[in-house]
Amino acid sequence: MSVRLTDRAFTVAGAMRMLEGPGLGGVVVFAGRVRPDRGRAGRVFALDYEAHRAPALRRLAAIEREARARFGAGRVVLWHRVGRLKVGEISVVVGAACAHRAAAFDAARFLIDELKASVPIWKTERARPVRRPRRRPGRARERSTG
Amino acid sequence: MTRRRSRVVILLFASAREALGRGTLDWPVSPDGVRADALVRALARTYPRLGPALRTSRFVHNGEYLHDLSTPIRPGDEFAVHPPYGGG
Repeated sequence: MSVRLTDRAFTVAGAMRMLEGPGLGGVVVFAGRVRPDRGRAGRVFALDYEAHRAPALRRLAAIEREARARFGAGRVVLWHRVGRLKVGEISVVVGAACAHRAAAFDAARFLIDELKASVPIWKTERARPVRRPRRRPGRARERSTG
Repeated sequence: MTRRRSRVVILLFASAREALGRGTLDWPVSPDGVRADALVRALARTYPRLGPALRTSRFVHNGEYLHDLSTPIRPGDEFAVHPPYGGG
């Protein structure tokens, strides 16, 4: 069982190690990263993740059990960060190791969809206003005549 | 101790916390407690800014999802407001 809700960074390589096992020939890992989205508040430079820890861990464990039962996953990874994450940092890694690829793809899809829909984790965007350079009329005229 | 026993701890997350500017409330209740739906109505009356978040939230009572809003919330209990989730 590998369920984590942590303020420490993790890696896809670390998840791959957790997903090793005899006969587990199909491994699918999904990683989610913080995007530099642009919204009304400006350009996102970070996301603050928070969780209601005890219910979140219980729900993650239940999702893991269901993935094993439904898809025959021999190993499962469900890791999520909390705290402030900058653009580019990995916020979530889920993975499933099964005997064959079809079940592994289905299981990994199930893991991330269920995590997003049913685990009490929230993110809040932190953004900076985007400054637009002011046009100086004189220079604009110079360029237009050049 | 006596003071804590006559109150419910309310946990606010995400949009609910941002609406109020704080993550916890110490809510006074009678020794017999209060029904969950009455507690939610009282919260919305006292803090109108919480209204939108309360309308879309799930509620968690002592760590368990609340499916029956007639459930009594008693002094010393924890009552959490969960706006729609956004992990990933």
